[in-house]
Amino acid sequence: MKKIKKFLCFIMLLFINSCSTDDSASKDVEKPTISIAYSGGFPKGCDQLKRGETYVFRAMVTDNEALASYSLNLHHNFDHHTHDDQVGDCDLNESKSAVNPWIFMQNFSIEESSLEHEIEIELAIPDDIDTGDYHCAYSVTDASGWQGRTSIDIKIVQ
Amino acid sequence: MVRGVVVDSLTLNPLSGVTILGEKGYAISDRNGQFNLQIKKTQVFQVSHIGYARFKVRVPHTQSTTLFIKLKPSSTELDEVSVHGKTKERTVRETATVSVSIDEEFLHANRENSLIQTLSKIPGVGSMTIGSGQSKPTIRGLGFNRVSVIQNGIKHEAQQWGSDHGLEIDQYGLEDIRIIKGPASLMYGSDAIAGVVDILPQKVPGKNSFGGDVNLLGETNNDLWAVSAGLQSRKDKWYYRTRLTYRDYADFRVPTDKINYENYIFDLHENHLRNTAGREANFSVSIGRVGENFKFETVVSNVNAKNGFFANAHGLEVRSSNIDYDNSNRDVDLPYHKVNHFKVTHNATMYLGNHKLQLDLGYQNNHREEHSEPVPHGYMPKPPNSRERIFTKNTYTVNAKSLFKKNGGHTISVGLNSEFQNNNIGGWGYLIPAYDRFTIGGYFFDHFELNKNLHLQGGLRYDFGMLKINEHYDWFQTPRDNGDGSTFDIFLQRATNSTLDFGSYSGSLGLSYISGNTTYKFNVGKSFRMLLAHELASDGVNYHMYRYERGSLTLNPESSYQMDVDVSHSGNGYSFGVSPFINFFDNYIYLNPTSDYVETLQVYEYTQAKVFRTGGEVNAGVDVTANLHIYASAEYVFSRQNSGPKEGFTIPFSPPLIGMLSAQYLLGDFGMFKELNLKADLRAAAAQNEIVPPENMTDGYQVVNLALLGTLNLFDEQLPALLKVKLNNIFNTEYYDHTSFYRLIDVPEAGRNLSVSLTINF
Repeated sequence: MKKIKKFLCFIMLLFINSCSTDDSASKDVEKPTISIAYSGGFPKGCDQLKRGETYVFRAMVTDNEALASYSLNLHHNFDHHTHDDQVGDCDLNESKSAVNPWIFMQNFSIEESSLEHEIEIELAIPDDIDTGDYHCAYSVTDASGWQGRTSIDIKIVQ
Repeated sequence: MVRGVVVDSLTLNPLSGVTILGEKGYAISDRNGQFNLQIKKTQVFQVSHIGYARFKVRVPHTQSTTLFIKLKPSSTELDEVSVHGKTKERTVRETATVSVSIDEEFLHANRENSLIQTLSKIPGVGSMTIGSGQSKPTIRGLGFNRVSVIQNGIKHEAQQWGSDHGLEIDQYGLEDIRIIKGPASLMYGSDAIAGVVDILPQKVPGKNSFGGDVNLLGETNNDLWAVSAGLQSRKDKWYYRTRLTYRDYADFRVPTDKINYENYIFDLHENHLRNTAGREANFSVSIGRVGENFKFETVVSNVNAKNGFFANAHGLEVRSSNIDYDNSNRDVDLPYHKVNHFKVTHNATMYLGNHKLQLDLGYQNNHREEHSEPVPHGYMPKPPNSRERIFTKNTYTVNAKSLFKKNGGHTISVGLNSEFQNNNIGGWGYLIPAYDRFTIGGYFFDHFELNKNLHLQGGLRYDFGMLKINEHYDWFQTPRDNGDGSTFDIFLQRATNSTLDFGSYSGSLGLSYISGNTTYKFNVGKSFRMLLAHELASDGVNYHMYRYERGSLTLNPESSYQMDVDVSHSGNGYSFGVSPFINFFDNYIYLNPTSDYVETLQVYEYTQAKVFRTGGEVNAGVDVTANLHIYASAEYVFSRQNSGPKEGFTIPFSPPLIGMLSAQYLLGDFGMFKELNLKADLRAAAAQNEIVPPENMTDGYQVVNLALLGTLNLFDEQLPALLKVKLNNIFNTEYYDHTSFYRLIDVPEAGRNLSVSLTINF
């Protein structure tokens, strides 16, 4: 009986010991957020953009401590390789091969360590690119190296 | 009554478990070598023990003083037992290193889908799983290249650095595994900075023996069926063995029909984690010879596996596809990987008086292919085929060791390890360069027996390594700005031709003290790890992880200091142990997510930081009744970065606090089933809130497994068949393992699984 008592005491000790450490107070454990779900956010899911036109791409990014950089990536989805993370599905065109697809990739940094920032990128859509399904992907990082991402299904039309 | 004691004739150490058998009466020596015989008249007793020559002794019933029996180690078998003249258990107690020995019985009773999942039941050992069929080891929270896996004395060399790479070793036919927790660079070379999984050669079969086994396994969760069959035979001096293993499994099932990953929702077809099926076919043959004072064995083995990856998201990349994945849950579509690991090892041991010479030679060819649907990314156009990454690595190993027993209690080991690696790359995705790597290290180690119960161990090692990295250019062109608004296209250079060399000392000092049933161990040591090609020269897009990985030529070889304590006690019907450690890294190297972008992908850079770690394991077992045994253990690691960009954070893949409680009840015999044991396990993990970007916090969980083990007299009463029926995750609990590969896309662990295995011995 004595050895069982000893054993139980040991188990108790173990469990008491295991509930004692917590010091994650000061570290940044929050990812920055990115949203187009406000009146100025552009483009919205399933939007149709015209070749030759100029648009202002807008998204709101926030962080709990300090925003650092963001990027915008536009690439074709002619092969339906992926889909966006917005509410609702868009009708995709027939899949096709790319001839002269539009690729836009640019990185930007956010100067002052702000907590909120509106991305505003003015872009002219070239005249000679393939029309069809495209992806618009925003991403943002904070000073700690956390990243937030969002992607939007759009169409580029004549 | 006659009292007696049995000792080894060379070392004079007491021998436990020795059988003393006479016409009337018998005894077995206890752990102090002592035994009692109840005899009424003088008679002859036969004294026998594994690894020792049989001995006959005439015992007069009038004997009043203690009978002193010296057993002579048998020289023909040349087992480790006879060389040391000590039981394995005793040797482990005398060794200062904190280690755990695992035998065939443990492997059988705890066998999971992969070797490392089986071993993760040992406190302090963990597994990083990739789906249901693959995993890689971690020891006290460190994994990848920091854990050396040794098989037959040769370090297993593959693409260990990769997060979706699993260990290519057949988990059948293994008899004896030793796990060293803590830095073990001294004896095992530079990569063993966190510990070693040492798979020891199989025991030499007995003279004039022929035997084998067939193991059949079926599982419900991933509709697995597996068969493994082994044969071994020995006449006089020559012996051979062979083994064939085949496993085939379907997509595994999770206790959810929906995966919510960030804003994406993946509907699962009948709870199947789409495209995670796989198969594995392995063979090995070996031939060996045992002579008067030498033995050798050559083993040729091949492991071939093909495993699918989750179709909706490989890594972090969300994919749509025209492939009809749900048509069959057994086929393996894109993305998948296949790997072939061919290995030849040769182990030779020679005994010259007090000298033991050992030579281990190895050749390994690891060919791994990662295939995925060709999709354009960034400036890369659509690739021509699915061959994303191809790695072919050849590794040549030569290890030599001399063990010399000197008078005065010194056992001196002097050894040399050298290895040459040649790594080739192919495919359209670049992650690590092609390289050649040569390392050589020499060590000196002394095991000093101050007295029977106090042992000191210490050693010093120096390693030298040379790494030659080959240049690499993209196969497609990337536009670059001229600065005046115009652009030009170039083939970007990802790696430059460079040659680097490293050298470093490692050392350790330890002592073990045995006091009755208690063993105390204490160790301090310094270990180091040579830099790997990808840490130095990565420079490319990891498409599936949506990140740009960059190495740095300014990193230093990793060095680590550790202090270990281990106290274990085994009494009559109970046992407990505790093994805490403290560990400092001068420069722990990891892939750090920065705030920067390259071509709209977040840059992850290999970075070094000072790291402090502490933690340990505790365990206790008790025989509540003669039939009921309860065992409990817990493991915990605390890590903190004390410098660098992630100062204050933990290190990646930190395991949570884990507790295990298991009860085993001997039910007894039921008809044709003998020695039935019912075993229940509870595995409980605390929440892991200690994370570092880009990890997610993971909730705690409790999962319960049940197993029924027994034997069955099918053909031969002497060699009963072993039966195991196991029910894992009996409540079909949805839980997440913080260190699992699929954790980062919020995929829970496998659901309920019933498995039945039968091992027939002949």
